[in-house]
Amino acid sequence: MLYGTLVDLVPYGARFMARDHDWWNSEASFWGSMGDLQPMTRAQVERVHEEWRPHTGPRTGVAFGVQTKDGTPLGYFGINWLSYQHRVAELGAVLGERDYWGGGYGTDALLLLVDYAFETLDMRKVWLTTISSNVRVVRQMEKVGFVLEARQRRATVANGALYDALIFGRLRDGWPGYAAMVAALGLHPR
Amino acid sequence: MLEGTLVDLVPFEDDFAIYLETWMNEEAWFRAHVWERREPHTEDDVKKYIENMEKNERGGLIGFQAKNGDPIGALIFDHEWTRVRKAEVRVVVGDSRYEGADEALDGLLMLVRYCFETRNLHRLDAVALPFHETWIEHLRRAGFVHEGTLRQHIRWDGDYVDLEMFGLLQSEWPGYVQKVAELSLQPSDIEPKPKPEKKEQKEAQPS
Repeated sequence: MLYGTLVDLVPYGARFMARDHDWWNSEASFWGSMGDLQPMTRAQVERVHEEWRPHTGPRTGVAFGVQTKDGTPLGYFGINWLSYQHRVAELGAVLGERDYWGGGYGTDALLLLVDYAFETLDMRKVWLTTISSNVRVVRQMEKVGFVLEARQRRATVANGALYDALIFGRLRDGWPGYAAMVAALGLHPR
Repeated sequence: MLEGTLVDLVPFEDDFAIYLETWMNEEAWFRAHVWERREPHTEDDVKKYIENMEKNERGGLIGFQAKNGDPIGALIFDHEWTRVRKAEVRVVVGDSRYEGADEALDGLLMLVRYCFETRNLHRLDAVALPFHETWIEHLRRAGFVHEGTLRQHIRWDGDYVDLEMFGLLQSEWPGYVQKVAELSLQPSDIEPKPKPEKKEQKEAQPS
């Protein structure tokens, strides 16, 4: 799988799905959905998992579980949608374990995912959308070299207020590779 | 029927369904949907598309026609997001004689009117290929704001081209009547097309 500095990206299997009920009812889901936090029962979570069952045909998404180097599941990082024709991939992430926010774990996972999209899937561009109040992601985008390409005004609701949706994109041109990015950002194993 | 200034909105059926077999295979359709692959659509594909849009709880397909009854194209809203009260809009000017005409602009204004004044949406999204100048001009005249450019986002005829992003808020919309008064729309007086030939229904053969 994809072996990083602080985390590895592995198949989103049973160990991760077993955590989804907690993660999808947590603040992580609120940020991942740009302001929604619908309480989800275990049965609802299981039905979503059923819909994920492997299907034939070309994949339009790739799901990874993020885990620490000693195997603790932290959340989901993946490609929500990709096009081999346009060679663009839309990324998504829910780092469910709040104790691991701000420690570089999400950034390392993002670097691995971007590198996978460019170097393995031969995508030309990666992009994602976040809510403007998500200052952690906005900061992370700048660090990893994403450019704010569009600000969709008042395009989502959170806690009773309207917020902009921010679309960030990173072109493959100028991507120095995973190792160079880790060095530039000063990520170190723990 | 929803009556506009230069066009009326009607159910997407009858002549529209027949014309769509042509429209869905022409450039206006692919450009409006940012669909570079230009896959051919058979009669069955077209029928299924109309059925899917009829069942679509998050969108709709509406016909728009000139005041003389001449079908012009399709107004589409889709991906309606209930929690945020927003949707995406696009206009397909199936009859290319109306491309850039004020009838096409009135189609967009009527679609906005329907989304804001009937469905009570709060925001509309629209996208445009950078070279689709008539559509961009109509978005601007309707009051849409350019909110950004997704760089090299779409492969189109061998190049990677940008995608222009637009948005319009309900709070920015003065209402259809006032908007039309500001724009002083002019009819283009295009002659109506001959009516399409009705297809004969095949009767089931006894086995």
